[in-house]
Amino acid sequence: MYKKILCTLCVVFFAFQFAYAQTGVVSGQVTDAETGESLPAASVLIAELERGAATDIDGQFRIGNVAPGTYTLRVTFIGYQTFSQSIEVTEGEETVVNPALETGAIGLDELVVSGYSVTPKRELTGSISTIRANEIQDVPLQNIESMMQGRAAGVQIESVSGNPGGAFRVLVRGNGSINAATEPLYIIDGVQISQSQQTDLTSSSPLNSLNPNDIESIEILKDAASAAIYGSQAAAGVVVITTKRGAQGATLVTARAETGIRDASRRVSYLNTEQYLDYYSEARGWTRDETRQSLLNFFGSPTGDDQLATTNWQEFIYDTGVTQKYTISLSGGDDRTRFYLSGGYEDTDGTAMNVKFDRMNLRTNFDHQITDRLQGGINLNLARNFQFGMCQDGNFINCAPSQAMFEAPMSFPFLQDGSYNPETRFGLDSNPAVVRDEVDRNVTVLSLVGNANLNYRVNDWLFVSGMAGLDYRSTEDEQYRSPIAAPAQNGFITNTNRSVNNFISNLVFNARQTFDAVHNVTGLIGTEYRRDFSKFASTRGDGFPGTFFKVLSASATPVTASGSFSEFRIGSYFSNVKYNYDERYFISLVGRFDGHSRFGSDTRWGFFPSASIAWRISEENFFNVGFIDELKLRAGYGTTGNAEIGNFAARDLYSALATYSYQGNTALTPTQLANPNLSWEEAQEINLGVDFSFLDGRITTEVDVYQKNNRNLLFERPLPNDSGFEDINENIGMVRNEGIEFNIRSVNVSGRDFIWSTRFNIGLLRNEIRELPDGEIIEPNSTTQRLEEGRPIGLIHVPEWAGVNPADGRPMWYDADGNLTYTPSQTDDAIAWKDGVANATGGFGNTFSYRGITLDTFFQFSFGKWGFASTDWFFTRNTEFLMNLDEIVLDRWREPGDMTYFPRAHHLGTDFPETANFRTTVGTHAIYNASYIRLKNITLSYDLPVSITQRVNLRGVRLFASAANLLTWTAWPYYDPELAFDPRDIYGNVTTASLPTERQINAGIEIQF
Amino acid sequence: MSKLKTVIYTGIAVILLWSCNDILESVEPATSLAPDEVLSSEEGVNALRASMYAKIRASESSMGFMTDYFVGPSAFTDETRNRPGSTRFQAYTAATGTDGETTHLAAYTDAYKIIQDANLIAGAIEEGVLDPNTHDRYRGEALAIRAFAMHHLVRALGYEPGMIPASGPGAGWDLGIIIRTEPTLHLDDADRRARSTVDEVYAQIFSDLSEAKSLLSGINDDNTYITEAFVDGLTARVNLYAGNWQAAADAAQNAIANFPGALSNTADAVAGMFHENQGNHPEALFKLVVNPDTENLTGAGTPTFTNNGPAAYTSVQWVAQIPTQFVIDKYDPEDYRLGWYGDCIENQRQGATASGCGDVNANAWSILKFNGVKGNTIDDYPYFRLAEAYLILAEASAKASNDATAGSGALNTLREARGLDPIETANPGALGSLQAFEDEILDERIRELAVEGHRYWDLKRLGRHITNPDGSTKIRNDSHRYLAPIPESRLGENDLLEQNPGY
Repeated sequence: MYKKILCTLCVVFFAFQFAYAQTGVVSGQVTDAETGESLPAASVLIAELERGAATDIDGQFRIGNVAPGTYTLRVTFIGYQTFSQSIEVTEGEETVVNPALETGAIGLDELVVSGYSVTPKRELTGSISTIRANEIQDVPLQNIESMMQGRAAGVQIESVSGNPGGAFRVLVRGNGSINAATEPLYIIDGVQISQSQQTDLTSSSPLNSLNPNDIESIEILKDAASAAIYGSQAAAGVVVITTKRGAQGATLVTARAETGIRDASRRVSYLNTEQYLDYYSEARGWTRDETRQSLLNFFGSPTGDDQLATTNWQEFIYDTGVTQKYTISLSGGDDRTRFYLSGGYEDTDGTAMNVKFDRMNLRTNFDHQITDRLQGGINLNLARNFQFGMCQDGNFINCAPSQAMFEAPMSFPFLQDGSYNPETRFGLDSNPAVVRDEVDRNVTVLSLVGNANLNYRVNDWLFVSGMAGLDYRSTEDEQYRSPIAAPAQNGFITNTNRSVNNFISNLVFNARQTFDAVHNVTGLIGTEYRRDFSKFASTRGDGFPGTFFKVLSASATPVTASGSFSEFRIGSYFSNVKYNYDERYFISLVGRFDGHSRFGSDTRWGFFPSASIAWRISEENFFNVGFIDELKLRAGYGTTGNAEIGNFAARDLYSALATYSYQGNTALTPTQLANPNLSWEEAQEINLGVDFSFLDGRITTEVDVYQKNNRNLLFERPLPNDSGFEDINENIGMVRNEGIEFNIRSVNVSGRDFIWSTRFNIGLLRNEIRELPDGEIIEPNSTTQRLEEGRPIGLIHVPEWAGVNPADGRPMWYDADGNLTYTPSQTDDAIAWKDGVANATGGFGNTFSYRGITLDTFFQFSFGKWGFASTDWFFTRNTEFLMNLDEIVLDRWREPGDMTYFPRAHHLGTDFPETANFRTTVGTHAIYNASYIRLKNITLSYDLPVSITQRVNLRGVRLFASAANLLTWTAWPYYDPELAFDPRDIYGNVTTASLPTERQINAGIEIQF
Repeated sequence: MSKLKTVIYTGIAVILLWSCNDILESVEPATSLAPDEVLSSEEGVNALRASMYAKIRASESSMGFMTDYFVGPSAFTDETRNRPGSTRFQAYTAATGTDGETTHLAAYTDAYKIIQDANLIAGAIEEGVLDPNTHDRYRGEALAIRAFAMHHLVRALGYEPGMIPASGPGAGWDLGIIIRTEPTLHLDDADRRARSTVDEVYAQIFSDLSEAKSLLSGINDDNTYITEAFVDGLTARVNLYAGNWQAAADAAQNAIANFPGALSNTADAVAGMFHENQGNHPEALFKLVVNPDTENLTGAGTPTFTNNGPAAYTSVQWVAQIPTQFVIDKYDPEDYRLGWYGDCIENQRQGATASGCGDVNANAWSILKFNGVKGNTIDDYPYFRLAEAYLILAEASAKASNDATAGSGALNTLREARGLDPIETANPGALGSLQAFEDEILDERIRELAVEGHRYWDLKRLGRHITNPDGSTKIRNDSHRYLAPIPESRLGENDLLEQNPGY
């Protein structure tokens, strides 16, 4: 492998001449067209060379060492339209340009980072959503994914867990896989990020190592025409993250400090002790005194008398957390060298018990012009982050999110003498206070993401770039339970060391040439190699002498030692050829040829092509609509792949399983039969789009319509068992996602002092299973995991609720024929009810700027998703387990004639005569609408006037206050309407005791000098 | 510039070549190997042999050759019943009328997984990997294990040769099981097949056993692997099922002759026979060794306390299947074999205290043949004991010569070893007719082999009704439930596979 890196670099190293040709200089001053005031910190770029500079405090810029030729100079500044002008650089001369910027929105000249190249937006033929740094700069969130939430049409993002640093489920244009669902391909500065070997102690995102303040832009390649260049890894979408780079000019130092508080975004209303007594008495038919005595016998009294406890367990488990966050960055450079250096520290205490996230990171982005033809660079991010985790997502008696439901108010954490109460619902070792104080779940992640690259300009039209990158992540999981928390083992500690070594290198030839002034041809051809090698080792020791030590060496008995490794490799060739005629007619062809170690020997190489075209009608002579600046039609079709089929799913395997040993001889046992034809899942997608821009770029919109068919889905096909094998992995099945995406940005008011801009996006989505093996329904009797042709993934299939019988308070359902029944059967009476697909998602925001004051609000919404809150439903609606009671029981039947939603008070689910178990029978009444609108972010910021900052020799001072997830409007009655079990949850319709999303309020200051 | 071009082109060419299949194919899994690596090395073949034996214990998820094998045929008939309040194996014991669950008796998937390993050893080991003697021995073991698994399947799914009913739902039903004698090496090998007839299946079993006997000739010193004596014993058992009385008697004689040990004949030796720290299976022609510290009864997971061994069901944990009074009543008070029973609470070591054993038998005993004395619910398991050879010899000799007294010698040898008087004095009527002798043999088999996986098959091979402890009929011999069904999901994946009649 290393030979390969060397070679990649060699080609580039030796392929240039160490000599400077004569060069020229571009310089000038950037001003406001209206006022003539100079604009500091505007971004100036020579587009073809991707070299730029930032203006200094007087708006001056200078880019030296530019090879002679014709270039496009592009100047961008927030709140102004992009300035673009062709310039001529001649040997030994200084070309002076003085751009005067018009206020208004950024138009179609902005650059978009697509696959292996940068494209002006007007030349795009596919569908790409871009999120820029200025949109998210003050959003007080830890995760890149949460910052993307609601900001890109058609990209659905749901929190898997509310713990800081937690993971997200990210769906780009819906979920198209059943057994091989995966995250999108994340690429940070050209390095593809591995999803292997993450912690299992808490929810965690592989993007945690990135400091959001370092991000320049996030591009989401949504359609196949854009993503096909990433071939077999692109079917779930591609997210390209670009970090900030230095620009030529005086060194800009940005220091930023911010602090804030956070809390669980929602609480659930449970009955208090007195209400509980009422209900329980009614359910058992006891007097209140009898009931009180019974509960006292069960729970005891915190005061040692006959007073029942009145504990608010939600307050015990969820409290206020504190965040502090500091970032300092330096950027600048001269005509040869540019740099961006930043260091960040974040320390966040989460809301649930001891949950915590902290991160230290260092980033270096360094570019150097070695000769006028050769440029080299290094991007490096080093990070250590730490999470104190929490077990969740299950009905676990010793995990806090479920304990918030399991512990009734009569239960209490501590006895009078301050010791742990041994009589909580599940005894001493599951007392929430013990879980809080006697259990550690430490996750330490060391991460290095970086690359070294060389770019060589062979001549005016050909560039070669080579890159070698590494994504290395080491994750140490340490779980400790004291002898109190784990009495059976007398305490234990588990250490698991995981690492992933993900190497990637590529060599790309980029060419661009114009013929006869109207035929513009650009193209790239490249090769890439990726190796993702992961391993883990895990040990556990039991038995500690008290709570003194938390190390393996202090444990009495070594219990387990296990470890293994796994890897995959991809070798690829790819090409993208683009042609446009006079910037009017565009065509783009992409092809990627991927060889993947996961595929069967007969299908190792796959070809992923796409083609797309665009027509800028507004450039036609006949087009003469004054208020429309830009009208472009786009159409594309292409194929991408999903290789997430398991590293060795195609092979013949004889596995060494120690537990299959005989008399001490480890067995090698046949476990899998090869399918040499096993292959990637394939997504074929057609995309049609229109881009509009009118009123001098004040309003820009994009509309896209797509249909994506994921075919050849991975399934296990049963084999005749008498062959000795039960099934074989095959490519069968198809899922379709189709939808419409709409995005609009407008500058509503653009005065000298006051600017008001609005943005809105929505993605409409429909998901449908088109083909299953032999057309058969999978899991036909499952309420939430039934898969059926013609239905969406995530169908909720339950009997229909008919309400409460007013005569006797019994629950009623409808049977298959629509008749009332007390004993519905899932098999016979369930109907296709709702589903977990969010059919409409998006966001909208407004930004108001008055002089230096900016107010930004951003709302995010999700509609159409329904779900089942299983823990809440099964455990908080009667007294069967003496757990919390949901407020829903207050609306219960009490006497004949009552028309209520909830049946009469009952102790057991089976208390209704000749009636199905009310607790466990999931009907339509158990399914709630998980639609919501959330005030995702609100920021108020104030930039001190230049007149003041100049006096203290600062380039800028900015004060800001912001809040995340401040308000949520939803009909969902439980903790969090974001229902995703894990990042690869295909159903999205069930939540089981997960940490809810956190609400945060922060304030901070940013100083530039 | 020309030099530069050369460098670039050379570099590209090298990269293109390197990126080829080699790099992608050299990725290997950490704990798995490709078949050729296993089948072409001695270590690989030894590990495969370990797999074949381990699978008898540890099929992926079920207990097909373990708890189902040993306890199932007893619970399904009259040897054990559920302790009141316990539900484990209730599906077997509660089978009445048209309900009941015979499916598990067949261990369908487990049996074919064992057969696959056996087929690999018998037919896929490359030449020269093993020395010829070892190669022969392994092949012999594999053929014997294949025969053993096939016989277990065919006795559950088909009528015995000669016992095919002339009327009723099973009239003329002569199908046995799918025969697989070739290893599944490629997807093409996993073809769809139809069931062969019972006669074809028995012919295959006899052929396997005959070859196994010659390959294992003289190998009798280690009963933790397949021995010649075990092959003899199994040959006797299969012939007994097939009604080949003389062949059964001859093979039983061979088993007795080839087995290096003898019947235990003191009260302590008999009582401690199954106890792994005492007798440790002195009569086993083949016993499967299970190490409770490292070996689970299911194939996956870290060894921890395992609660699905026979001991969990009979004596250590759930204490769910309790010997019936019907069984206890079969014993003479002098019988050494009463040492296999003991107080059900005293011998329990896990779980909530068992209560109500006394409702199943008056002494409140549990059966201690499997009692996990090494600290878990896992024991070593005897799949053929010397006593069974004597019982086969007795029954087959009598039937071969059509004379009950011809079987008394072998029967008396066993009775004497168990502390009992000869049958002539203890129950002279048993020698009065072949029918009476068969009844006596069945009783002796209960006394000797209870909860060792025999009772259901003994009744079935003789065409008798399946009975409850009180003597009432549970499944008539002309009921379709006499045969186990082929699991429904197996039918879905193979349209050539025919279900048994009535299901």
